Amino acid sequence: MTSATAGAGLGSYILFSVSGTTYALPTADVRHMEMIEDITRVPNAPSFVDGVVFSRGQVVPVVNLRVRFGFERAPVDLRTRLIVVQSASRTIGLLVDGAREFVSIPPDSVQPPHEALTGMSGRYVEGVASIGDRLILILNLERILSFADPLPADPAA
Amino acid sequence: MSQEGAPLDEVSFSDFLDDYFAECDEHLIGVRRLLLSLESSIGRDAIDRPVLDDLFRHFHSLKGISGMVEVRGAEELAHRLEDYLRALRSGGRALTRDGLEALFDGTQTLEQVIAARRASIPAPPIDAIADRIARIVGAAAMASGAAALSPAPAGGSASPTGSRRWQITFTPSQELVARGIRVDVIRQRLSSAGEIVSASPRVTSGGAVAFDFVFAGAIDAATAVSWERDGVTIEAIDDAVAGELLPDAIDPAPIDPAGRSSDRPVAPSHVVRVDLTRLDDLMRNVGDLVISRARLGDTLARVEQRLAAADWRAIQENAVTIDRQLRTLREGIMRVRLVPVGEIFRRMPFVVRDLARETGKRVRLELKGQATEIDKFLIERMMDPVLHLVRNAVSHGIETAAERIAAGKRPEGTIVLSAATAGDIVRIEIADDGRGVDAAAVVARAHAAGLPMPPGPPDAATVLSLICAPGFSTRDESDRASGRGVGMSVVKSAVDELSGAMALETEPGAGTRFILDLPVTLAITDALIAKAGGETFAVPQNAVREVIEITVGALLQVERNEMIPYRGAALPVVRLTRLFGLAESTRERQHLFVVGTGASALGIAVDRIIGQREVVVRTITDPLARVDGISGATDLGDGHVVLILDPAVLARTLRERPDRIYAAGGTGR
Repeated sequence: MTSATAGAGLGSYILFSVSGTTYALPTADVRHMEMIEDITRVPNAPSFVDGVVFSRGQVVPVVNLRVRFGFERAPVDLRTRLIVVQSASRTIGLLVDGAREFVSIPPDSVQPPHEALTGMSGRYVEGVASIGDRLILILNLERILSFADPLPADPAA
Repeated sequence: MSQEGAPLDEVSFSDFLDDYFAECDEHLIGVRRLLLSLESSIGRDAIDRPVLDDLFRHFHSLKGISGMVEVRGAEELAHRLEDYLRALRSGGRALTRDGLEALFDGTQTLEQVIAARRASIPAPPIDAIADRIARIVGAAAMASGAAALSPAPAGGSASPTGSRRWQITFTPSQELVARGIRVDVIRQRLSSAGEIVSASPRVTSGGAVAFDFVFAGAIDAATAVSWERDGVTIEAIDDAVAGELLPDAIDPAPIDPAGRSSDRPVAPSHVVRVDLTRLDDLMRNVGDLVISRARLGDTLARVEQRLAAADWRAIQENAVTIDRQLRTLREGIMRVRLVPVGEIFRRMPFVVRDLARETGKRVRLELKGQATEIDKFLIERMMDPVLHLVRNAVSHGIETAAERIAAGKRPEGTIVLSAATAGDIVRIEIADDGRGVDAAAVVARAHAAGLPMPPGPPDAATVLSLICAPGFSTRDESDRASGRGVGMSVVKSAVDELSGAMALETEPGAGTRFILDLPVTLAITDALIAKAGGETFAVPQNAVREVIEITVGALLQVERNEMIPYRGAALPVVRLTRLFGLAESTRERQHLFVVGTGASALGIAVDRIIGQREVVVRTITDPLARVDGISGATDLGDGHVVLILDPAVLARTLRERPDRIYAAGGTGR
C-alpha cells in the first residue's frame, strides 16, 4: 500500500507485458532492468521462482510473473527482461515478456480494479488505468512477493 | 627511450606498472603520515629532522620510480617537492604555513597524476603547483643563503668508514677454548668493531659446531689477520648482492651521513609485497593437491587387500601425515591473506584534515585497533565505504566550532575510528560527537524522494535503512564530500555483499555511531565443486569429512533409504539428484561426500567432483530463494550463480523431516 501511494504521487510508471497483457509498476519500486542470461535453478523453491541470478553483486531471486499469474512458462528470448525491484529491504527480479516504456499516469485516471477482473493476476492488481485505447493493470508489488497466498498445488505431496 | 630499445613485452611492462603503483601507494601513505606530523612544526625553528629526512626519501623514491616508468608529471612534481625539502633540511629554515599547504597540495596533485596514469586518463596539470613550490623554495633559499644550492651530501656505497658487510664464520676448537677464545669473545669483538646483522649456529659436515655471523663494519687487513688466527674466517659479501637483498641500500641519496642502515625504520627485507592473484594461484595449487590426495586415497583403498598389513600401516601413516601437512599449508596461506585493518585507517587522517580545512571545522581523528587483522579481500572492498562514513562524519556529523560552543561542547569535534575482533567478526566503528542524525529530517527527505516508508515512528534501524536507500542522497550530489560516487546505498551494498551487517546508533546533539560487522574471512571458504544432474554445486570443504568413490551397484536398498558399507558400519546415502529433483546420472561410479559423525553421519552422492576452489560466499537472504540445505551462492568467475550446499542442515533436515526435502523434489521443470 505504502509503495503504491508514494509511486502514485510521482505518477511515473514502467510498463511491461506478461502473456499479452500490459502491466505497470511505479518507477520508484524499480531499481533497474536487465537482459537475462542464465538463471540458476534453486531446488525446492516456490514454483514461481525460476531461480537466482547475480545482479550488481547481489544474489537475487527471479520471480517468473507468467507462472505467478497462472500462465505457462515461455522460453527466454531477446525481449525477455528482468525488472529488478526493491520492496522494503528486499531486492527481487521479476521476469517479464518484455518491457520498454515509461509512462506518466495521472492519479485521477486510475480506477479500482473491476469486479469482473478474475484470474491469477487479479489479486495482485491495485488499479486499472486506460491510456488511449490501452488498458493497463497497475500491480501491487508487495502482494506479488508475498508468500501468504496459496502456492499452486504440489503434485508430489 | 622505450620505443627505440627492444620492444617491451606488454605483459611484463604492465606487471612492472602494477609494482610501480603499489610502490607509489606505500610512499604516498608514508608522505601523508609525515606531513600530518609536520603540522606541529609550523613556525618553529627546529623541524623534526628525521621527519624531514623520511619525507625527502619518499619523494626521492617517487621521483626515481616515476622516471623509470616515464610518468613525467609525477617525476617533475616529486622533484620539486624534493627540492623544497632539501632547502628545508639544509637551510635550517622554519616551515611556514604556506610551505606546508604547498606540500599538502603538491602531494595531492602528485597522487592525482599517478592515479590518472593508473586509470589511463589525462593527468591533471601540474604547472601551477610546481610554480608555487618553486617560489617557496626560492624564498627559502634566499633566507638561508647559498646553503640550499649546495648538493645533497654524497654518501652511499663509499661510506666514510669503509663499512661494508662480511660473512664471518667462527669454528671453535679445543685449542682455542684453551686460549680463552670462545664464541662470546668473538661476538664481543664484532660488536665493538661494527654491527652483527645476524648470527646463527650450525653443525658442520664433520659434526662440529660453527657460528655464522653477518657483520657490518670496517675490518682492516691487520684485524683480519689477527682474527683469522683465532679460528675466524672472513669473507666479503658482494655489495651488488647485498644491494638486491636490501632495496633501501640502492637509495642513491642516503640522508644519514653515517649510513647506518640499521637505523632505518622497518627493515624492508622482512616485508614482501605479494599480488593477491599469486596467493590465489597458490591456493588453487594446494586445492589441486587436495584432489590428488583424494585420488591417491581411492587408489590405495583398492590395493589394500593386496598389501601386507605392515606395509599398509606404513602407507596409512604417511597418508595421515600428508593430510595434516596439507591442512597446515592451507591455513598458512589463508593467514597470509590477513592484513591489519590499519591499511584502511592510514589515509583517514589526511582525508579528515583536508575536509576539515574545506568546511572550516575543527576535527580530531582518533584511530583504535589498527592491528586488527582481516582478510585482504575485505580490506579492498571496505576502503571506500569506510572513507565515505568518515567523510560523512566530518561534513554532516560534526558541527562548526561556533555551533559546538553554543551547544556547550568543546569547539573541536572528535571522530573515533576503531576496529576490534570478536570471534569470527571484525567490528569497525565510525563514531562522532556531532549533532546526531535528525530522524524527522531523514523521514521528510525520504518522503520527498518518494521512498517507501515503513509505518510507525522511525527507530535507528529505520533511519539507517532510509539513508541507505538508493535515491536518498541524490540531493547531495553538489556536496563534494559525499558526491564522489559513493552514497550510503553503496556502503550498504558493500557490507551486504561481504555478508556483513551495519547498525546505527545516534542521539540528537550527542553524536552518531556507525557499526560495521564483517566476517574476518568467512566470506571466503574452500569448497569442493561438484556436478549433479547437470548442475554445479559447491560444498564447503570444512564440512566434508572424506570423499570416497562408490559404484551405484554397491548401494544397499533399505526401505526408502540407500546405504553403503563404510568403515565397518552402514552409512546412509542420499543422492543429490533425487534430493533436488535433478536428472539422474547414468554414471556407475559416483563420488560421495561423507559429512557428520556417528549417528548423524551421511553420505551425499554427486555425479562427480570436478575441482576444489576458494569461493566467495554470498548469502541468500530472500525467503523466496532460501531453502533448507543451501547456505549461499558463489560465482566461479563466469557470472553464473553456483549454489553452496550446507551439508549439516541437509543431514539434519533429512533426519528430522525427510518429507520436507523430498516432497517438493518432483516439481522441478
